[in-house]
Amino acid sequence: MPNLFILVLQVAVVLFACRVTGALFKKIQQPRVVGEMFAGIMLGPSLLGWIAPQFSAYLFPASSLGFLNALSQIGVIVFMFLVGLKINPMELKKESHAAVLASHVSITAPFVLAAFLALYLYPRLSDDSVAFTNFALFMGAAMSITAFPVLARILQERRMLSSRLGTVAIACAAVDDVTGWCILAYIVVLIRAAHSDTSIWMTLGGIVVFGLVMVFGVQRLLKGVFLNAYEKWGHLSENRMAFMLLLVLVSALFTERLGIHLLFGAFLMGAIMPKEDKFVRYVLDRFETITVTLLLPLFFAFTGLRTNIGLVKGPQMWMYCGLIILVATAGKLGGSTLAAWMSGMPFREAAGLGTLMNTRGLMELVILNIGLDIKIISPALFSMMVIMALVTTFMTTPVLNLICPKEMLEGEKVGAERVSAPAVGLQETGVA
Amino acid sequence: MSHSNRNFVIAYILLVGLPLLGLVGVLRSGRSLSAPFSVDGAWRIQAGAAHTAAAPCGDFLYSVSNSPVSISQSGASLVIGLGGKTTTGTLDGKTIKAQFAGAVTPNATDCSDRSLTLTATLDPLTEPRTLSGRLTVESCESCAPVEFRAVKQPRPAGGTR
Repeated sequence: MPNLFILVLQVAVVLFACRVTGALFKKIQQPRVVGEMFAGIMLGPSLLGWIAPQFSAYLFPASSLGFLNALSQIGVIVFMFLVGLKINPMELKKESHAAVLASHVSITAPFVLAAFLALYLYPRLSDDSVAFTNFALFMGAAMSITAFPVLARILQERRMLSSRLGTVAIACAAVDDVTGWCILAYIVVLIRAAHSDTSIWMTLGGIVVFGLVMVFGVQRLLKGVFLNAYEKWGHLSENRMAFMLLLVLVSALFTERLGIHLLFGAFLMGAIMPKEDKFVRYVLDRFETITVTLLLPLFFAFTGLRTNIGLVKGPQMWMYCGLIILVATAGKLGGSTLAAWMSGMPFREAAGLGTLMNTRGLMELVILNIGLDIKIISPALFSMMVIMALVTTFMTTPVLNLICPKEMLEGEKVGAERVSAPAVGLQETGVA
Repeated sequence: MSHSNRNFVIAYILLVGLPLLGLVGVLRSGRSLSAPFSVDGAWRIQAGAAHTAAAPCGDFLYSVSNSPVSISQSGASLVIGLGGKTTTGTLDGKTIKAQFAGAVTPNATDCSDRSLTLTATLDPLTEPRTLSGRLTVESCESCAPVEFRAVKQPRPAGGTR
């Protein structure tokens, strides 16, 4: 049984720290999520556990972390559903050459560079229980992810959603996230299959059947149950909202049972939901407040409790960390910039796209936590990658200000309504 | 094929196709790499010190050398937990070395506040892996080093690191 006093105290402290730090970061023109990520790290062994170890041990005893994790995972499940909900496959089909090339390069460049880096890091930060192929593929997936929601939020705050840069960036980020999650699912299946009695072909077959049932069966049901009801009455009853949540949880359980991860099911359920703009906004409004203000900060705190910057000790370890940041930035920012420029985008705009794509935010933390759970990355590497996620997300706004001043892009509006409508929501309240 | 389409195809091959070929090469060459032996996880002591209440530190050594050992590994860097204490250590080949710091001014008569040194050798060929090692209490002449043997525990399914 959880110690309820400690659990409620933890939630209160986390909530307070995240709101205060988020507000402070907003003052320096950073997305709130960067502040909340930072607050999570401050509550962990890197700061609180270091300066006040006894208080830290009282507030976050090891025996209580399972309950905190369970609460935070519920939040991440709903968050992944909302991320999937926001991704509109029709937008991806309308991609221009620039977007196709930039999105594919923004995956392959960091992926391949990360694999090269894995050659160097594997003997130094891993162990022989992890196969090199899995290690390299995970590093690639983790470095090629883009925080789709935080990117949309930055674009909206800068009124760039309707610019050419904004539309290309949104399309690229959506492609990156879908691809990144598919690669991660593959890695998780490979690793879990190695420790399971079920053959990998059974697992893969199960995933394919599940995907087909979801896309060709459940998707139609969703339209009838949710979209038609919404269009008829202008809202969804509590029963229908509860049913939607139930479907998310059942889908999550299916993917967990199939050997991938809870979060893939939640993401897929969001991705196959009807994409009518008003409906999407309505669902986002209903789910996001409690998720963003209460549950996601718990995830930041749990991530922070697992992040021990003290493990990055000595010049050598910091050099590894620097290399990770350098490779992540060169692959994502450099690769996207080069691809967009070669597709005919002016260089400053292409560099702006690269900067936006380099935003990793919460999506990176989600992936890293999965990697630590399945033991494909070590605690020190986890901490270095969290630092990389913080640095790359933090640098987005100032670098973008430098490369693409707001005035430069305000004139360029293409299809404002088409893109901005579904992008409202998550980013307004600070999900990233 | 139009001029712009041809440029697109060339750029795509250069920026996507070639790097993917490079990825295949990296994955192949990486297979020959070797990483440090895995010692991460929980270890159960199979044979610790016998209880020798006669020695001043008998109780202390008995309790420490029979406590479960937890190791968190990042390459050759280790964080080792033993008997409620945590310290960092290193893995050099098959040898683990760590020192648990004692009190600044030790004065406990049973030497329980002295520094404790752990050295152990991994046997990577046994399944599950085993550690054979020695615990030494520093600056405590009456405490003879004790040998121990530990067996790696299976990972809990779906557990966290």
